[in-house]
Amino acid sequence: MSGPHDLDPALRGALIARLTAMADDELILGHRDSEWTGHAPLLEEDIALANIAQDEIGHALLWLEVRTGLDGSDPDALAFFREAGDFRNVRLVELPRGDWAFTMLRQFLFDAFETELLERLARSSYAPLAEAAAKAAKEEIFHLRHSGLWLERLAHGTEESRRRLEAALEQLWPYLPQLWQAQAGDAALAEAGVVPEPTGLEEAARGRVLAALARVGVASPAEVAPNPGGRERHGEALVALLIDMQSVARADPGVDAW
Amino acid sequence: MAGRAPRDGQGPRWEVFKQDASDKPHQAVGSVHAADPEHALLMARSVHARRPAAVSLWVAPADAVFAVTEEELHATAPWTVEEGGSSRRFLVFRKTSHRRAMTFVDHVGVVDAPGPRAAVAAAVDAFPEPPALTWWVVPADDVVASPEDEADAWFAPARDKTYKQQSAYGLLAPGKHKRAGGSS
Repeated sequence: MSGPHDLDPALRGALIARLTAMADDELILGHRDSEWTGHAPLLEEDIALANIAQDEIGHALLWLEVRTGLDGSDPDALAFFREAGDFRNVRLVELPRGDWAFTMLRQFLFDAFETELLERLARSSYAPLAEAAAKAAKEEIFHLRHSGLWLERLAHGTEESRRRLEAALEQLWPYLPQLWQAQAGDAALAEAGVVPEPTGLEEAARGRVLAALARVGVASPAEVAPNPGGRERHGEALVALLIDMQSVARADPGVDAW
Repeated sequence: MAGRAPRDGQGPRWEVFKQDASDKPHQAVGSVHAADPEHALLMARSVHARRPAAVSLWVAPADAVFAVTEEELHATAPWTVEEGGSSRRFLVFRKTSHRRAMTFVDHVGVVDAPGPRAAVAAAVDAFPEPPALTWWVVPADDVVASPEDEADAWFAPARDKTYKQQSAYGLLAPGKHKRAGGSS
């Protein structure tokens, strides 16, 4: 198996759903990160986080372009003209940006997961997906370094930074497992070598997070049942985010260039 | 390098040296504020190497840089140097042209000296040509480099990202939105 024409219709549908989920995670996280532009605590961090936001939105485009190869869909139309109920991102990425500790910890949790995901996707039997993943993986190493650096400094910084980090961890922890929760078509895709085998990915991502927390001496919260509901369920925060994110595109839908 | 206190709530300032290709010298490109050397390198990558080509970055605390101009070196008072004590390694940088550039001093080599003034004197002897307008010497122990084994993650993504000039963004519906001042 290598190109779009080698996929049977069931796998094609499952892959479209998987790509949409991955793209929506990146797009919504990228937008949340971009909300810090002009507001970050240091000028240099403002620039760095704006870079990361652009990278994540760029990754969303990579996944949506792979989807275009399967169904001819238009990435811009998907990003700017779908309603909240049609988005397939995890709840973790749509939560309001919170404080710097919350933003950096969320970014770290996502980066830890994405690093493991991309490493495996780069070996996908579906060539366009493997290619896109290899490209994104390079940037992801740097993202993880940046968010990992903040995890360490927040943990060992001041009493306040530690308190804020622990509060953010309590708040984010229940949303973490949804990142690796498999969708209906994932088992068949994994069987065909298109996406990684879900239990292996979960083990690796969870292990990476737990090891990092242990390294900085922060206790991980008690295990919780994964947040119920699938990727079609969202909070009100996503609605507000989309109003902001989609407003320019929707102001003049027929525009030729912008 | 411990104990460099933040001065203005942004952390200390770090000079950034960027190397564009493996056969080119590291060049001073500006500075960043950061909490520590590792943080400074990450900030330098985001601020100074997001788009342009780079293969390596160095950072050094701004107050570890000893800078002297050609005029200062040849002022009426003789150039005194530190004597005795153990020798340290210094990285030497110099500016040799008045030409307007995005960069300041270029890395030219290393000298061993008991102090920064002696290091400058040694640099003048070791690197006479072309004549320098400004010298910087920095203790080698204060310079921290970007990790070589991660160079690809740090610098390769920039190769696919290009600056977009204003003209890259198309003009909407000619006649409807006129540009100020006619053509541009």
